[in-house]
Amino acid sequence: MPLTRRKFLIAGLELGVAGSCLSPALAANRAVASSSGERSLVVLQLTGANDGLNTVVPHRQHEYQRARPTLALPASTLHRLDDDHGLHESAAGLAELYAEGALAIVHGVGCPDPDRSHFRSMAIWHSAQLDAAQAETGWVGRLADRIDRATETEMPSLHIGAEALPLAMRGRRWFAPTLRDPNGLQLTSLSTRHAECRASALERPHSEPASREELAFLREAARTSYATAERMQGLASRADSVAYPTHELARKLRLVARLLGGGFGTRVYYVTHDGYDTHARQAPAHAALLSELSGALHAFQRDLAAMGRDREVLVLVFSEFGRRVEENGSRGTDHGAGAPVFLVGSGVRGGMHGVAPDLSRLVDGDLRVDVDFRSIYAAIERHWFGVESHHGVAPMANLFA
Amino acid sequence: MTQALERWRPARGEFDRAAAAHLLGRAGLGISRQQLERAVVNGLDATLDALFEEPEHDPTLLTSIDLLLGTGSIESLQAWWMALMLGGRAPLRERLTLFWHDHFATAWDKVRDTRLMHRQNALFRKHGSGDFRVLLREVARDPAMLVWLDGNSNRKGHANENFAREVMELFALGIGNYSERDVSEAARAFTGWGVDGRRFRFAAADHDGGEKNLFGKVGRWDGDRALELILAQPVCARHVCRSLLQEYGGSAPTAAEVEPLAAELVRNDWNIAPVLRTILSSRWFFAPERRACRIAGPVELVVRVQARLELSLAPARAAAACESMGQALFRPPSVKGWDGGRAWINAGTWLARHEYMVELAREAARDERAEAMARELASEHAVECGSLAPVEAMATILTSPQFHLA
Repeated sequence: MPLTRRKFLIAGLELGVAGSCLSPALAANRAVASSSGERSLVVLQLTGANDGLNTVVPHRQHEYQRARPTLALPASTLHRLDDDHGLHESAAGLAELYAEGALAIVHGVGCPDPDRSHFRSMAIWHSAQLDAAQAETGWVGRLADRIDRATETEMPSLHIGAEALPLAMRGRRWFAPTLRDPNGLQLTSLSTRHAECRASALERPHSEPASREELAFLREAARTSYATAERMQGLASRADSVAYPTHELARKLRLVARLLGGGFGTRVYYVTHDGYDTHARQAPAHAALLSELSGALHAFQRDLAAMGRDREVLVLVFSEFGRRVEENGSRGTDHGAGAPVFLVGSGVRGGMHGVAPDLSRLVDGDLRVDVDFRSIYAAIERHWFGVESHHGVAPMANLFA
Repeated sequence: MTQALERWRPARGEFDRAAAAHLLGRAGLGISRQQLERAVVNGLDATLDALFEEPEHDPTLLTSIDLLLGTGSIESLQAWWMALMLGGRAPLRERLTLFWHDHFATAWDKVRDTRLMHRQNALFRKHGSGDFRVLLREVARDPAMLVWLDGNSNRKGHANENFAREVMELFALGIGNYSERDVSEAARAFTGWGVDGRRFRFAAADHDGGEKNLFGKVGRWDGDRALELILAQPVCARHVCRSLLQEYGGSAPTAAEVEPLAAELVRNDWNIAPVLRTILSSRWFFAPERRACRIAGPVELVVRVQARLELSLAPARAAAACESMGQALFRPPSVKGWDGGRAWINAGTWLARHEYMVELAREAARDERAEAMARELASEHAVECGSLAPVEAMATILTSPQFHLA
């Protein structure tokens, strides 16, 4: 019977590798986490800074049309959210989720001290540290560490995408794997005979006494890893319960849904959607991006509902900052500050949260930051997962049903 | 006492193929078949002589860095160092460079300047086998280190303890061998040390010239004096030797093992090379329990495979593969470096190892000698390959757990 990863981690602890992990907090964490069931988180990063103002549009504020002579979206094209706001016309899927109460929009989210550099701002969001230059780990990685301690899983977190492992995913205990191919893990076996030989090599006891312990450890690790890979492959090839669009973001979310639906065990996923840095000729590019985003999230949510998992899965959609209210001379927008964050899932309290942006009260031409992004992280940690939160800010209230 | 010294005496007995492979594998990163055979013929002493008198790297490789640094890309720098390691001309020096990179772990993620990262790397290469005191002083003035551990924000009246703490905790003394007061007093001594335009600069106006009490000694210590006082702690030589033994011996050494070596380090004017030679020629080092007793790190694994299978890997690809296995060069996870050992392995990193090893097996199978090589490797690593085709046999061997021990 193969040992679980838990067991070989514990063997590592005995060598004093991470003795500090055996704190009393461990037991406490375990108790809290088990009460939150099998809840999961998918972080969806909109890379490049999404134009929040043309996503959730405050069409009744006349400053909006004035600041955006070519980019302002006519109210008639929008999907109605409330009397004052509408969603971009490409976001039909999101509008449908909003109407069902499965989409929460948090207005005016950002860093308390906004930074207009993509790199610095992204590092702040990832690390949840305002002085991100110091950052070695990310908030999702640290969260995965805590969940990892409290549950039995071979793969606490998973990054799907061709980019390097995001800082957000770096933890202390667990090195999150990156899956470049959204079709799943294609573990290379050259032939059946090769696979058989590989398997039997893991069974055979080795004769060298000196290396016995490390060898036994490696053998167990390899066995567990192959079993994990095979399960993932099996799940990834299962039929979908709904039709997904064919673009990359949809394929990433499709794989996440296959893993969640099949009880794969990974609780934290990270995917990105790139291209939001729309400095010039924004309108067509932004429409295409939102169409992909909306279509992918809509299919994902429908798929989870069909599998009866929609109440256990939360998607957090964020971008490093919003864009300037006033459009630039190239029919695009430059870097801004506050922007909406989306939470998707049947477990969220749908509707609008925070204070809707007021275009007559800008800060340096930007939308104000009213909600510290860390208060959303804190809410996810405390209220969604029921684990400790260490951001030094109060969790945002009422985000979950 | 006799026993304590006994273990550091030169090894006796036959310097056979297995012993030679153990020595060359640990002293360097990878060994080719020819190197192995040459070592067996030459014997232990001559092999060590050759290791400690390594030739310079191919000069074109060393100068090519100027072009690469212009791009500012960290991937280029990673590939360049990987090329030096894969080149195999100075395995002992490159392994020491990697060891010091881990010991004085500095990450590009914060430094964000490939030129500074390269300069620090060159520093490790130049001083890695020399006087540890010089190495430590150079590291303390190294611009990448100063950025990494906040030299610039360590000013009179606003001391930043980052470097002062790590130089004691990780670089020179080890935790428990200094007080919190020593940290804050040393931080004051280092005030004014910073970087200006990629160079070390001392800003006298930022320096706290007041009295400091460091390890019970009171005076108007500056940064250089603080380093001297740190180096004067008897525990310092032990800390350095413990790190060396951990790296080259493969497990945490006992105090009795460390003590005589620490004395030897001091006797040799803190020169690393003679102490390393003592380790690598010792009975302790060649003892059966020291052989293949540790899990190879990604860089070590990749360089070893390419040398053994006589492949010519693309350095950028090799560096990227190491990153997927959890060891991105110039990007250690923290100032503590890589945890190493069992921490190298989880489901994600093992599968990354598997995928790259199968890729290399395919590469190796193109060689006309593949079948013979596979047979030889199979017997070395006690892997049963039965009637597998060369490529399958090679893949089975390279992905076998025993192959990942070193």
